[in-house]
Amino acid sequence: MDIGLYHYLSLAAFLFAIGLYGILTRRNAIAILMSLELMFNAVNINLVAFNRFSGSDGLSGQIFALFVIAIAAAEATVGLAIVILIYRNWRSIDADRVNLLKW
Amino acid sequence: MINITPLIPELFLLVMAIVVLMLDLFSSRRTVVVPAYVSMAAVIITGFLVFKFGGDAVRWGSNAIFVADSFSQFFKVIILGAAFLAIGSSFGTADRMTHHRGEFFALLLFSTVGMMFLVSAKELILLYVGLELTTIPLFVLVAYQKTNRASSEAGLKYLIIGAASSAILLYGLSLLYGYTGTTYLNEIAQKTAVYFLSHGFIPNAEGTTDLVGMGPAFSVALMMIIAGLTFKLAIVPFHMWAPDVYEGAPTPITAFLSVGSKAAGLAAIIRIFDGMLYAFSHDTMPNDSWGTMMAVLAAVTMVAGNIIAIRQTNIKRMLAYSSIAQAGYILIGVIAASKLGVASCGFYMFAYMFANMGAFAIVGLYAEKTGKKNISDFAGLSKTSPIIAALMTMFMLSLAGIPPLAGFMAKYYIFAAAIEAGYTWLVILALLMSVVSLYYYANVVRIMYMVDSDNKHHIIPSFPAGLVLALTGIGVLLFGILPQSILDMAYKTASSFIF
Amino acid sequence: MFDLIFIVPLLPLIAFTINGLFRNKLSKTVVQSLAVGSVGVSFVISVLLFVELIGLDPAARSITQVLFAWIPVGDLQLNIAYLLDPLSAVMILIVTGVGLLIHIYSIGYMAHDPDVKRFFCYMNLFMFAMLTLVLGDNLILLFIGWEGVGLCSYLLIGFWFEKKSAADAGKKAFIVNRIGDFGFLIGAFIIFWAAGTLQFNELRAVAPEMFVVGGSAITLATLFLFFGATGKSAQIPLYIWLPDAMEGPTPVSALIHAATMVTAGVYMIVRLNFLFVMAPDTMMVIAIVGCATAFIAATIGLAQNDIKRVLAYSTVSQLGYMMMACGVAAFTAGIFHLMTHAFFKALLFLGSGAVIHSMSNEQDMRKMGGLRKHIPITYKTMLVGTLAIAGFPLMSGFFSKDEILWKAFSSGQGHWALWLMGILTAGLTTFYMFRLVYLTFFGERRYDDHVAKHVHESPKSMTTPLIVLAALSVIGGLIGIPHALGGGAHFKKFLAPVMAAIPGETAHGGHHDMTMEYILMAIAISIFAAAWFLARYLYRMNIDKVTSLKASMAGIHKMLLNKYWVDEFYGAAIVRPIVNGSIFLWKIIDVLIIDGIANGLGYIARDMSQTFRRVQTGFVRGYMVAFLFGVVLIIGYLVVR
Repeated sequence: MDIGLYHYLSLAAFLFAIGLYGILTRRNAIAILMSLELMFNAVNINLVAFNRFSGSDGLSGQIFALFVIAIAAAEATVGLAIVILIYRNWRSIDADRVNLLKW
Repeated sequence: MINITPLIPELFLLVMAIVVLMLDLFSSRRTVVVPAYVSMAAVIITGFLVFKFGGDAVRWGSNAIFVADSFSQFFKVIILGAAFLAIGSSFGTADRMTHHRGEFFALLLFSTVGMMFLVSAKELILLYVGLELTTIPLFVLVAYQKTNRASSEAGLKYLIIGAASSAILLYGLSLLYGYTGTTYLNEIAQKTAVYFLSHGFIPNAEGTTDLVGMGPAFSVALMMIIAGLTFKLAIVPFHMWAPDVYEGAPTPITAFLSVGSKAAGLAAIIRIFDGMLYAFSHDTMPNDSWGTMMAVLAAVTMVAGNIIAIRQTNIKRMLAYSSIAQAGYILIGVIAASKLGVASCGFYMFAYMFANMGAFAIVGLYAEKTGKKNISDFAGLSKTSPIIAALMTMFMLSLAGIPPLAGFMAKYYIFAAAIEAGYTWLVILALLMSVVSLYYYANVVRIMYMVDSDNKHHIIPSFPAGLVLALTGIGVLLFGILPQSILDMAYKTASSFIF
Repeated sequence: MFDLIFIVPLLPLIAFTINGLFRNKLSKTVVQSLAVGSVGVSFVISVLLFVELIGLDPAARSITQVLFAWIPVGDLQLNIAYLLDPLSAVMILIVTGVGLLIHIYSIGYMAHDPDVKRFFCYMNLFMFAMLTLVLGDNLILLFIGWEGVGLCSYLLIGFWFEKKSAADAGKKAFIVNRIGDFGFLIGAFIIFWAAGTLQFNELRAVAPEMFVVGGSAITLATLFLFFGATGKSAQIPLYIWLPDAMEGPTPVSALIHAATMVTAGVYMIVRLNFLFVMAPDTMMVIAIVGCATAFIAATIGLAQNDIKRVLAYSTVSQLGYMMMACGVAAFTAGIFHLMTHAFFKALLFLGSGAVIHSMSNEQDMRKMGGLRKHIPITYKTMLVGTLAIAGFPLMSGFFSKDEILWKAFSSGQGHWALWLMGILTAGLTTFYMFRLVYLTFFGERRYDDHVAKHVHESPKSMTTPLIVLAALSVIGGLIGIPHALGGGAHFKKFLAPVMAAIPGETAHGGHHDMTMEYILMAIAISIFAAAWFLARYLYRMNIDKVTSLKASMAGIHKMLLNKYWVDEFYGAAIVRPIVNGSIFLWKIIDVLIIDGIANGLGYIARDMSQTFRRVQTGFVRGYMVAFLFGVVLIIGYLVVR
């Protein structure tokens, strides 16, 4: 069986959905950040797959993916810093306990 | 060789941001003044550069990837204005920080650069990078008060929702890329236009396409992009982060978030929907589905923002809901999808900048002096500080859209554009909601003037804060009475779009 | 010179801004001199403008000063522009002139009030709004002034807001006026929709093409506008707020609720006379409403014991006269009466203020009496005012009232019944005004010794305006002496360029028979004399008979004393059924009317707000759910559609 565009897209969609599911269900802030990474990676698969299969000769999809990887790294850095901050202030990284601001 | 002259303002600001960062290394840690004033000067010079090097575009091959057209110039002025006013009202906040003062201003400038890129981007990768350059420094800035629980909570919430929304946006962008095979907005526009002119609106499941052939995927892509960008504007239901983040963040950052990042997001939305996908709106207004859908979003946003604002007790939270509601009004201008619509969006944002930055400046000033943040704490302000109270009244009434203040003209244009485009029901709802909004805006005024208290805090702003208040006060009044020049400018910006 | 038009309203605004912002820092003297000085300079400029205007050719007497384009895009082209023509020239003279006198008077009257600075702030703001109203060159600017004066009126009625009755009266005025404003706005919208412009001179030019005489659009529009005027100018059915408005300081009653603001409705109708003459049905309604208001308010005035309330009902009644004049297309006569009324009613109010001042804030006439000797200047000037309003021959009120009555009788729109009611009202007016004079200034003293110790003539700052106004009340009518009495009717000629002829009638209606005019004039004078005599007989000579008369007519007296129970009727017929009718409807009324804009959508909104804010749980994952919910919902819509 040939592996085609749709297989890659399906993989990406699953990965994206798993990431979303993680954000919605995980209470641990680190786990939420990891779920976010899954979503970004899903996008990367999409981009690279489109670039490979869409027939255009450019490389823009792959370049796009490189940028996404770099920015996701930056986002993760800031994210972890904030999680550490949360831990200092709250003695916990449970996202549901961080609940001072509401209504 | 690529012509990079249109990028000079952004590059200059970038360099200055790094200079500010360096200054903090070498200058005395005692004072906040040096990096702050350097940042303010940098913003002003950038403003001049924006006009000096406007009009051209950076091209890659035959495609523009970065345009410095009048539309982007107009929005950059708003963004730089917001940055200037935010820095001006940050002195007190930054003064109380023990360290990392230089970074505070540097990050603000980085975020500003990101916004400027977002406004000018004509290419998906650049758009995305601009978006992230806007957001990531803001994550840090929101959580900047390190020992403050609320601030760190706001940071976490902004980070999670912000990153998730940008992932969703990215997924939409990747689909759009796959769908059209290009990342240049003008090529995407051509391809979608060709497609839609021959097939009508969004293809259904049976629809065959001459592009990649994925039918509903296109609507999914569109929607994800809408969600990712309206997140910046805090449109319901993508608004949930806003009240918490606005409340927890340092006040000048809240103000910057509510104006700068909103203006940048708005510009991107206008570029994509009014500019790139004009074919939808052009052929099928006003009954096309994206128009109707956005109209429903605007309606829900206005209703929810205004209604919930009524019962708020914390003034920053109240202003957060107010700014959600304001975003609803602005979206009406986008939906109108006409020259007047684009112009009215620009003018609205311009007027909104003065009133909102001014209001937040007063809130910040008051909280610095008294440590109080509730609306009821403003009782008796008219007695102790009549000028501050009068200014606050002006800002509130401008936000409510009372003539002859700038907010009134802004609403007037938005509504005129919407009526022209056939969205009368939306205008009626918006009018009704602005009556509701009068409740909570006037409430602040009522408390300042009609409620007695033994409040003895006489608010004397420092020089930069006073400058901010003077500028915003003058802006609110001047552009309400003499809106003509700005309107002409805003109207010219619309010439970048083919309607 | 005409470049200075905008200065006239601007000066009070500047004074208001300075005083409002820095009133904590400025001394009382500075605040007062700024407030009075700004109005004074405005008055001087108004006089200069007036002189300049007279120097022009009659056809050229319409100067528009465009300050800047305000709303330039789209269909609605609006400028911030001031229009100086004979009508607005007369109005700014009245407003700044009478306003100046009342400002001077206020210095003395409010001398002991701790909040005097706030008072002058509001007064200056009022002057600005009123001058914008009369000078505005389009309906929107007029409306902004209209709302502005309404706001100031509300603030000034409730000036002593610690007093519950004052706060309530302010609220009532606010609510009733909002109802009227609603009508005004609808009328303005209809006009804009049909004619495509709101600028007065353009409207005048296009009106004959855009509207059909007697057509439904013009009739509806003018009816709604007139409804707006009934609110501001206190006509049936919306007159009920004005008597309560007397809770405000007396200079406010004189300036806002007698001389200027309440005449805004009349001014608006005259300003748009070219529209109203195209709607004969509306004109008839105006004439009847005006006439009925004049008569009913005068009868209520007969039985009031509060000195200011008598004057308040008298004001309502006189406004009815002006409306009646408009209704019979005697617009010039309406403005003429507006002017003379501004003189003598301001005089009477200021005089009553001086009385109240000297009586240690007693307002009940039954507790006065014999004041003639103690406060002679006040007495003399008030007597002049009374003669003027009652129409003593050759005083200002005589000419203006006579003009209206003659037009009511003779004009195409007129009817003898209108004239009859008018002349009866004139009799009633004479009666209750002399009743006021006799009860206050003549007879036995009916106040206690404690008050007697403090009875004193008012300071110069208060008596001087009284004397000036008294002089104006005497000679003010001379500029408008009709042809029948050998006068030149200068006033009419001056205003002629602003007035439109009634379609289908010749401009002058031919030369009428002077005899009829003389006969009517004679009847008016004899009725005046009879009413004066009756009042003298009852309240001067045989004051004890009043009691028996009251007893014999107990029913009528009670009815008049209670103002025909109109307030109670509105309470029973309108307010209560709504209260009982349906909670929901009540909330709407509560929201839109009672609580006004300030209280917003009221309870419903607040309850909703309270419910919806709970959606914001504070759990970040919950926010994400909402986010995704939105995405899925909208994708679903786009795909399924």
